[in-house]
Amino acid sequence: MVPVKKNMDILYHSGTLLILLGLPFFLSGTVGLIRFPDIYTRLHALTKADNVGLGFVVSGLALQSGSWAVTAKLLLIWLLVLIASSASCHLIARSAMQKNIQPWTR
Amino acid sequence: MSWMHTTFALILLPAIVVGLFRILRGPTAADRMVTAQLFGTCGVAILLLLSTGMGNPVLLDIALVFALLAALTTMTFIRRTWHGSGKKKHGYSIS
Amino acid sequence: MSYFIFTIFDIVLVLSMVWIAWHLLGTEDIFKAVVLFISFGLLMALAWVRMRAPDVALAEAALGAGLTGPLFLSALRRMNRPRKGDRRLDSDEKR
Repeated sequence: MVPVKKNMDILYHSGTLLILLGLPFFLSGTVGLIRFPDIYTRLHALTKADNVGLGFVVSGLALQSGSWAVTAKLLLIWLLVLIASSASCHLIARSAMQKNIQPWTR
Repeated sequence: MSWMHTTFALILLPAIVVGLFRILRGPTAADRMVTAQLFGTCGVAILLLLSTGMGNPVLLDIALVFALLAALTTMTFIRRTWHGSGKKKHGYSIS
Repeated sequence: MSYFIFTIFDIVLVLSMVWIAWHLLGTEDIFKAVVLFISFGLLMALAWVRMRAPDVALAEAALGAGLTGPLFLSALRRMNRPRKGDRRLDSDEKR
């Protein structure tokens, strides 16, 4: 009985560590949205950093959940967000290029 | 009820609130739309954390709906409101 | 501890919602108002979650984030667009 509990404890704390690792990605995505000078750089900051942060949060919560059904649902949510954000990033960048918005150069 | 997950959600909430500044002073329409997309991603993460923090697994379904419908608004924005071709058609003009 | 953090979460959520609503009603740019409305719907879903009404939050997520946003964006495209008869009259007038 004791090793099982210790095993669950390790899973719980590593899940907490993963969630803590994911939070700075979200905050840096927001900082990039505020600070970056251009629509393309803002897209870059947003759609990459946020999805990595969401991946860390999802994996941490999946480690803590302790059931396969919840893990599958969490991974499905992450997959949907990945598809949605990459598709919309591509669409917005292409439409901005077609509208002749020049990329920012130093 | 776990206060730790709620604290994480509370840390993520300023990421949404600070993003509102970009909506208010975004130069182009795409900047504002991209911020709405950031709200979708952050909202999904907050809902996932609150689902453990409040001990309510139903919130995962709400996050699933958010993830499903997040792309719809951006697709409509590109298809209907913010076309390619630089020439301005008649109608409501958006920079 | 948990109660304290939930209270801070609620206060931040409500204050940001009031701020969004203030700017939403005060702005002159219609597209900015639409994007602010979408983000208001997202925060409203979070508020329903905090009021322990996940079913209403599910409806708000589907309607506020998924349906009214594309509907408003589609309506924005048709605003100020002259009808067919008007356009023909204008071109006749020029000649």
